[in-house]
Amino acid sequence: MEQTDQLILDTAQRLFADHCGADVVNAAESGVAPVRLLTALLEAGLPLAWVPENAGGVGGSLALGFNLIRQSAGFALAAPLAETLVANRVLAESGLEVAESWTVLVFDGGVLPMLAGGKISGLVESAPMHAGVTRLVVPVSDQGAIRIATFAPDDVEIDYRESLAGESRAQVQLSESVPLALSSAVDGMSEHGLMQFCALVRACQIAGAMEKMNELTVAYVKERQQFGRALGKFQAIQHKVADIAGESALANAAVEQAARELSEHSRPFSGSADTLLSIATAKVVASEAAGTVSRLAHQCHGAMGFSYEYPLQQYSRRIWSWREEYGSEFYWSERIGLAVADELKHSAPGQNDGRVWDIVSR
Amino acid sequence: MSETIRFNFPAPVIDDSVDRLRKEVRAFLQAEIRNGGFQPVTDCWCSGIDPAFSRKLGQRGWLGVTWPKEYGGQELSALHRYVITEELLVAGAPVHAHWIADRQSGPLILATGTEEMKRTLLPRIAAGECFVALGLSEPESGSDLASVRTRAHKVEDGWELTGTKLWSSGAQICQYMTVLARTSERDDKKRHEGLTQFLVPLDSPGVSVRGIRDMSGVEHFNESHFENVFVPEDAVLGAVGAGWKQITSELALERSGPERLLSTFVVLEKAFLQAVATMSGHQAAVMGGMLARTRALRAMSLGVAALLEQGQYPEVEASLVKDLGTRFEQDIIERLREFWPIQLKQSFGDELHYLLADSLLRQPSFTLRGGTNEVLKGIIARGMGLR
Repeated sequence: MEQTDQLILDTAQRLFADHCGADVVNAAESGVAPVRLLTALLEAGLPLAWVPENAGGVGGSLALGFNLIRQSAGFALAAPLAETLVANRVLAESGLEVAESWTVLVFDGGVLPMLAGGKISGLVESAPMHAGVTRLVVPVSDQGAIRIATFAPDDVEIDYRESLAGESRAQVQLSESVPLALSSAVDGMSEHGLMQFCALVRACQIAGAMEKMNELTVAYVKERQQFGRALGKFQAIQHKVADIAGESALANAAVEQAARELSEHSRPFSGSADTLLSIATAKVVASEAAGTVSRLAHQCHGAMGFSYEYPLQQYSRRIWSWREEYGSEFYWSERIGLAVADELKHSAPGQNDGRVWDIVSR
Repeated sequence: MSETIRFNFPAPVIDDSVDRLRKEVRAFLQAEIRNGGFQPVTDCWCSGIDPAFSRKLGQRGWLGVTWPKEYGGQELSALHRYVITEELLVAGAPVHAHWIADRQSGPLILATGTEEMKRTLLPRIAAGECFVALGLSEPESGSDLASVRTRAHKVEDGWELTGTKLWSSGAQICQYMTVLARTSERDDKKRHEGLTQFLVPLDSPGVSVRGIRDMSGVEHFNESHFENVFVPEDAVLGAVGAGWKQITSELALERSGPERLLSTFVVLEKAFLQAVATMSGHQAAVMGGMLARTRALRAMSLGVAALLEQGQYPEVEASLVKDLGTRFEQDIIERLREFWPIQLKQSFGDELHYLLADSLLRQPSFTLRGGTNEVLKGIIARGMGLR
């Protein structure tokens, strides 16, 4: 990692720690906006980390952004930083202007809204959203190509919902809506590419949250005394903690590998077959781990982890939600299976010996 | 505030020479299978014994590749060795004869052996002509290795060993065994002291090796009895009394290799090929999920290899790989049962059934050998400050 990347990550870490304690996260869910956190993030320019310098951004690498997202998830960040990073990057790819405010990508992996006669219509079932958003970034379909449209929130119909963790989501209805701005067809951007990119973002968030759950669990079982000794001295507990560490480490290894591979790709939104396998792997492994890690972490915490005040629930509820978004482990497993089968069907008969390994070990 | 716990798995540096080597090994193995050189077997690094095949690998320069050239090696990186072993494993090649010597005994001799040992033995190991067994477990010592009872008494010009070693895989075809023995009285307060490793020729007077049949029906592991076996002074590996330290660093190195996640990949490969033509959505999801886990575990295992290359000692990370990887090797067989039930002992020429049945009969050992998963979890918990 470059030195400037590390500096940005260190700054972010301090900022998260200062302004996003567990109380801030719980308060945000009950409707108290974390004003100091939101202001500090904007002032530090973090939402622009992925925007190239010539478009007014920080020009950070893909690796930096994915690390930032993972790190922010370790604080259950009560701000749409990941959403804005993604939306701004998409804006920059499309050539539209990037603004220094909160924004979201109105995309959930479903059918894209359609462009017809300069107006856009369609329904996005469950888009990320945020009360402080000033602009919506909407990928739209135009005769097989993708164009990017922007809207003011007031110009479309927004039906607000909440994720399991109380993060804002929304059903967005576009009915012959006229965009504020509309890009031309974006080179090297496809629906698959958007799906892959967003899936990796969620996988990074899950990995970051699970690291925190591991830390919380270790700290708790060291502290909590029962039967005259720390819980962590019981072998039954030690083995659960070891399993949490294993699943969390596996998810880390997978998201790091996927982020590396996507970084080497010149067009991160193209949905290339080259990146499919590693991104799908990251989302499968992270989503699978989410179930195991939350179950074990809660078991180790006893009733304390079930209480609203104790922060474990902020992470378990988030990862339960994130694992479903942009394709669960079931969805991506099937994609991998079908993609590998498809590739094998196209190789010459008798030439298949060892081919599965050949593909897996790429 | 909780303490940060982060496990890192950096990307290893894979240059062209590593890729070229992988392709060479892959092409050689495919040719061998086509020519009937070997029949792919599951868990091949423990079940496939073929000294002639090991010699072929030796002739190609693919054993002991990381060792100095003067001792028969190629002075290649650990990553070169890693890709060779990966390719051998996924092809199901019969590699057990040389596996331990190439992975473990050779490096041990290199680190602790006498110059004479290095000159005479390492080139023979690299040639695939000399095999070494592990003499660790005993009838009364399994996971609790420090409790070994095999005793070495100092005699004139050397040592005399008496005791029994158990579960030594492949000892019947090995010329040597590295034997862990007590060289001074056991002190319960310092139970890890007073242990010493010896390199014992298995044709020494007083050694008897008896095969033990395992539940899969083969006799590949052994009980070896040592009755006042004399070995000269220079049979000591490393320092007298330093055996425990040597053993634990040896074990850490062998925990994260590809054989801890790929022992049954050959079955997954054959199953996938068989399923391709009629792959349904559900089957694709089950099979694809296993490919995903394989990839993730491999990223972890390669990450540990990279850490070792950097000169670090990633004991916890290596234990994580082995715990997760070996359980996954077992899971593969359980999940494939959904589509290919495993019932009969006979396979009637059905290669996939043979591989599945043999895997099922062999899989209990995956999470035991080289330190049980419970021992590994203990190491992981200690790494996080719980013990």
